[in-house]
Amino acid sequence: MSSSAIPSSTIRMEGASVAEFSWDVRSPLDRALVAGAYGARGDAGVSLTEIRDFDLVQVMARRGKAVDMAKAAKARFGVAAPQTPKAVETPDATLIWSGPDQFFVLSKGGKHAALAPAFAQSASLSDQSHARVLISISGVKARTMLAKLSSIDLHPDAFPVGAAAATSMDHTSVTLWRENDRADGLAVFNLLAFATFAESLWHTMLDSAAEYGVAIGHSEELA
Amino acid sequence: MRIVCPFCGERELGEFSYLGDAKPVRPAADAGEEAVYEYVYLRDNVAGVMSENWYHGGGCRSWLKVTRNTLTHEISAVEAAAGAGARQVAK
Repeated sequence: MSSSAIPSSTIRMEGASVAEFSWDVRSPLDRALVAGAYGARGDAGVSLTEIRDFDLVQVMARRGKAVDMAKAAKARFGVAAPQTPKAVETPDATLIWSGPDQFFVLSKGGKHAALAPAFAQSASLSDQSHARVLISISGVKARTMLAKLSSIDLHPDAFPVGAAAATSMDHTSVTLWRENDRADGLAVFNLLAFATFAESLWHTMLDSAAEYGVAIGHSEELA
Repeated sequence: MRIVCPFCGERELGEFSYLGDAKPVRPAADAGEEAVYEYVYLRDNVAGVMSENWYHGGGCRSWLKVTRNTLTHEISAVEAAAGAGARQVAK
């Protein structure tokens, strides 16, 4: 599940060397994201940070195996997987609810490349590492900006740390959750969206955030 | 209109798709042409309380069975339909 480029192998064709298979892994926002300031000048009210090079595995219980899957998750991660819209921190991953009897495993560095044996009897796994974009949203105006895009109540009383939602923004399905607050106490919202919708959603988010001033960046680190 | 998804909570209509009357049941293979015709084509035009299939495609992607009054849009019950999740399966 590592995202490093795979070296090409070559075959000989009438004296010419032809690359038979090679790719570069690129972020879904490779073209659209321009790091730096955007919109209103002054202190940025919103920070948009794309998290790159993450591992994401979808775990879905097989029919009638939800209880077994829950047991397997507890054994593997040491904590219970979320059964309601929540995000749970474990020592080496974040487990994010994505629907009834299913959740995402979000981590870094290929730690869950060998996750399949733990769920061999109870769940189907699907690698979504390169199928989603992951955007972290914070700043004093983060909630105000998100309110333009989402019908979810993001007030701290209704959407505390660890809350999650499978919902839609700008007609695009997203998984939204609130992770631990920043060191300065501000809330952090994380958003997973389909990679092919990444640019569209990104531009919508920039439009929504522009009036507050935006600090755009990207990071290789899960916060 | 809002629907209270049994998995996600209260959500706006835009996250759901309407899939029609939840009452018709697929007839047995030997039920005959009349029964199949009725199942495929004939629908009641209910003025009042109706059982409907909805799909939460903009959320948890579960099929829901919604009891809705077609005159007032009042929703009196929402439950998971067959196929929603691996565990919560209503008949």
